[in-house]
Amino acid sequence: MKKWLMLVVFSSLVFALVACSDDNESAGSDDGGGNDSGGDGETVSLDFWIFGSTGYGELVDEYMEEHPNVEITINEGEMEDMHNNLFTSISAGSGAPDIAQIEISAIKKFLDAQDQFYNLNDYGAEDVAGNFLDWKWAQAQNVDGSFQIGLPTDIGPTTMFYRTDVMEEAGLPTDREELAEEIDTWDSYYEAAKTVKAETGKPMADAPQLVFNALRDQQDQQYFNEDDELIIEDTVKEAYDYTTKMIQEDLIGQNELWTPEWGNAMADGSYATMPGAPGWMVANVKGNAPDAGGNWDIANIPEGAGNWGGSFLTVPAESEYPQEAFDFIAWLTAPEQQLRSFEIAGLFPSTPDVYENEEFLATTDEYFNGAPTAQIFAEAAQSVKTVYMGINYATVDTELNTALINVAVEGADPQEEWDAAVERINSQLERQ
Amino acid sequence: MSRTDVSIKTHKKSSLNEKTKEAISGYLYVSPFFILFAIFGLFPILFSFYLGFQKWNGLGEMEYVGLQNFKWVLTDEIFWTSLTNTLIMWVLGTLPQLLIGIILAYALNSALIRMKSFFRVSIFMPYVTSTVAVAIVFGIMFNSQEFGLFNVIFGLFGVDPISWGTSWWGVKVAISTMVFWRWVGYNTIIYLAGLQAIPNELYEAAQIDGATIRQKIQYITIPMLRPIIILTVFTSTIGALQLFTEPLIYIGRTYREEGITVVLYLYREAFSNLAFGPASAAAIILFIIIIIISSINVLIANRIGR
Repeated sequence: MKKWLMLVVFSSLVFALVACSDDNESAGSDDGGGNDSGGDGETVSLDFWIFGSTGYGELVDEYMEEHPNVEITINEGEMEDMHNNLFTSISAGSGAPDIAQIEISAIKKFLDAQDQFYNLNDYGAEDVAGNFLDWKWAQAQNVDGSFQIGLPTDIGPTTMFYRTDVMEEAGLPTDREELAEEIDTWDSYYEAAKTVKAETGKPMADAPQLVFNALRDQQDQQYFNEDDELIIEDTVKEAYDYTTKMIQEDLIGQNELWTPEWGNAMADGSYATMPGAPGWMVANVKGNAPDAGGNWDIANIPEGAGNWGGSFLTVPAESEYPQEAFDFIAWLTAPEQQLRSFEIAGLFPSTPDVYENEEFLATTDEYFNGAPTAQIFAEAAQSVKTVYMGINYATVDTELNTALINVAVEGADPQEEWDAAVERINSQLERQ
Repeated sequence: MSRTDVSIKTHKKSSLNEKTKEAISGYLYVSPFFILFAIFGLFPILFSFYLGFQKWNGLGEMEYVGLQNFKWVLTDEIFWTSLTNTLIMWVLGTLPQLLIGIILAYALNSALIRMKSFFRVSIFMPYVTSTVAVAIVFGIMFNSQEFGLFNVIFGLFGVDPISWGTSWWGVKVAISTMVFWRWVGYNTIIYLAGLQAIPNELYEAAQIDGATIRQKIQYITIPMLRPIIILTVFTSTIGALQLFTEPLIYIGRTYREEGITVVLYLYREAFSNLAFGPASAAAIILFIIIIIISSINVLIANRIGR
């Protein structure tokens, strides 16, 4: 009898709680995606998750003014947090927004869960495909191209930032065109590195990872082939060997990206070049070295550019308004709006149309000796290769970076570190 | 006969009602905790026990794989590295924390110290700070370059710059220092509460008998503090075995072998490698390890002060 009563009490309590949470949820989705919350019964409200400094707030206001029936709520956070939130809400089957921004490093992970997103091809994505760079478009596609998970926003075509003061001291050209001619291959980069070392005692580059990345990004295939087999021995080992050789000859420093040391070095001018630096790195250098204006300049990377970063806008399958969501993101990623968000927040457009815009091309940066930044990055953007990344790209990247840092900081043997990294990668891959 | 029977029955019934009423209100009072615990504690625990036997990437279909996940984890060298790291950091971080906690508490409790509240508050302060902020500040102090604060200090004694971010001991010492700094005050306050609960009469009686300070500590303080010591050893051991935030912020998402702890290992498996099965298996293994170490703790702690 007592037990029975207890059961009743408990189950009713649990029920009450579940009912409560149900209420909350429906209230929540009314806020977010409710169809009947608006007075006229036609209002479509869209939840929009973004990260980083996008400058989308202004554009969203504009869109809502033009489309009074659409209400867009922006939810902004850290990139890592937004990705985790999206992952858990999709995994739990509730709580995902109508539109989610996803960065390139995470796009394959979500593309692996195709059924959790709308195929934008069904809503007219193919019609706007021509607006975008081919390689960027392909990044948000499955292998055969039938499923399009997102529309491209910004990109991060890479260039080589360099210190004019160090170059001058080393007796190398300081002009960006002349320097690009002087250092047009990786062999000449190596030769220049020896000159810099001999004349100034400074390393050619600071972070081993950046040199490695610059070389890696010039490969047609990188960590995985399209069957998701690990192919690093045949593709990026050469880049690894080149980088570690330079490390051992003290031509490359030992800083890890995003550490305070790395930031300080930007201000100190303790190295000559930063290869593999994308457009958004401009703000980073300025932030870390506010007084170094005029000492930095931008040139092309020897043998071609890569891409670092950039995002996509996706529509999770939970959204009740896929068409409205698509219409909005198609507008937001159109050339005119990409140009606007470049002007507002510096997001580099993924739409080649913009690259012919006079006003855009006239963008220069005093900090970088008046370099025509937009033009340089636009040129780089057009030489980026389409690369299959695969779902485990980040795992491999992390371990190879650890190997590079061990060689640089601990003076470890490059081949041993490579083998250890491959072993770590394999042990992580085989259990998925 | 039948009449009395009935009256007894009704009486019995009403008393039962009274009892059940009380029981209901009792359960109602305690229910918020249990309901929240069921949702945020029990369900995840049971779910990870279930996940430990599945292959799952977090989004797709699950697949039953039996003990495969456990086999992977137990044969993975990095798991054993993470376990060694955790145990080393447990010793480096927890033992000094408890010893110095007792000494500080004893000092704070003595009649000699003035401005007690001030010292109590300042010793407890680190506990209130945010772990992430602590890890970032310590990360700057443990800078690997020559100009890092600790390297400058050690440099005064002629020690070469230590690479706190990549060397085997450097990483562990840095993380343990963070843990020590943050938790020593917490344990001090708990010990202090325990010390204050010891009746003064005992010390007075010992004083009359001519006991030295050492004898007072050995025969009064430590035995009387025993339950408190067991409690702190327990909580800080479990805390140390679940060390996560400090190493995550300090070594970042590189998950370097020098600083990876068991929880960081399973976090990496789940959220970086999307292998929720092995991650849950590692969690279960950690659970068992904690049970074993806690039992050993009880055995040892029971002997303290006997």
